[in-house]
Amino acid sequence: MAYTPQFYPGSTSVGINRRKHMSGNIEKLRDIPEADVVAIMGHRAPGADYASTHPPLKEMGEPDCPVRQLVAPTAGAAAGDRVRYSQWTDSMYFAPSIPYFRSYWGAINCKGCDPGTLSGRQIIEARERDIEKYTKQQYDSEMTDVALCSMRGCTVHGHSLRLEENGMQFDMLARTEMGKDGNVYAVKDQVGIPLDKKINLGKPMTEAEAKKRTTIFRFDGVPMGGKIGARKFDEAIEMTHHMWEYRSKWGYRPE
Amino acid sequence: MVTESDTESIQVEIIPNRYLTPATTQRLLNEIYGSGGITRIMVHGPNLPRSVPYGPGRGTPIEENRDLLIEVGGQAFELSVKVGRIRLELESEEYLAGLKAACERALPFSFQIKRGKFFHTRPTITDYAKFGKVEDKRILGLIDPKAKRNRLAILSEVQVTVDDKEEC
Repeated sequence: MAYTPQFYPGSTSVGINRRKHMSGNIEKLRDIPEADVVAIMGHRAPGADYASTHPPLKEMGEPDCPVRQLVAPTAGAAAGDRVRYSQWTDSMYFAPSIPYFRSYWGAINCKGCDPGTLSGRQIIEARERDIEKYTKQQYDSEMTDVALCSMRGCTVHGHSLRLEENGMQFDMLARTEMGKDGNVYAVKDQVGIPLDKKINLGKPMTEAEAKKRTTIFRFDGVPMGGKIGARKFDEAIEMTHHMWEYRSKWGYRPE
Repeated sequence: MVTESDTESIQVEIIPNRYLTPATTQRLLNEIYGSGGITRIMVHGPNLPRSVPYGPGRGTPIEENRDLLIEVGGQAFELSVKVGRIRLELESEEYLAGLKAACERALPFSFQIKRGKFFHTRPTITDYAKFGKVEDKRILGLIDPKAKRNRLAILSEVQVTVDDKEEC
């Protein structure tokens, strides 16, 4: 029988969503043009050449290394691109992807990237053309709700703050705004420099939709133990207890 | 009039479930002001900088955060925070019901009102550095100790004087 990776335990909707994010089996909800994603990232002008830090690998002549022969380089690495980043802030008010699950998604599904998780934000670094591809995948998929998630290269706080009246995540640099037509527009790049034109990111999810797609356990949503009052906790909490026990007693060496 | 004792007055904190727009803030503050019995009031929330504070875009103006003018009790102020919390001292408990009603009228979403002790009563070193010997203890707890300017407004039924801004 073929091996199927088991990414996350539990039968709650959050557990199922976490498995989806980790496996990369995520639904595409929108299609934001690549040039717009590049503009929001703000590392290069859309259509400009990629800056490079070294010549293409084919021209460099790599040493005789079995690992290099086994692993094909990513497009960005092969071309010698700079390393660039995209950083996301996801609201704790039922944003679809919370920081750790963007990282799991990146680490499992994105080749040649370096994900980093902080308390309220998540950054992925990779070669420039690779990170552009990965960022577009995140923007277009159910990992992102345009009201509750936004790209913030600096001044990132917003994850644990209350939402604004219109349901948007608070951003003191006002990088995104809710239009009168109900669509969310990106008006600045991820570091707060105004864009040449507003970029339509589409309509935000409803509260019910966000709660359906979220990967955050919350007492006022889906708690980690599963259904409140159930005779048995959900497997997610049992697994966490199990891991903590092993880690505490034997330094994570189950013998 | 100097507040002499905390035994008669009460301190409360209003926490709306969403951050307030300037329009809602104005509506709420005017409702609160109209309900009466206010000794002092402080609005609190995350800072809204006028320009990008750091990063590659440092110094870029943030037009959305400028000119957030509101009018309270006939006096115009400029907000420099996103209002998320309002602390106030009422002359006595009898004004609490009116305050709740004012919040219900002004806020289109849920909120919490907590009673407690939110303003300090003894001057800190920062208070001493800013004001010297404090005569009117009502200003204690109204000022952000890290603020470079006083950011304090005094509204009076008799005379309205404004030092700088109404928020701390």
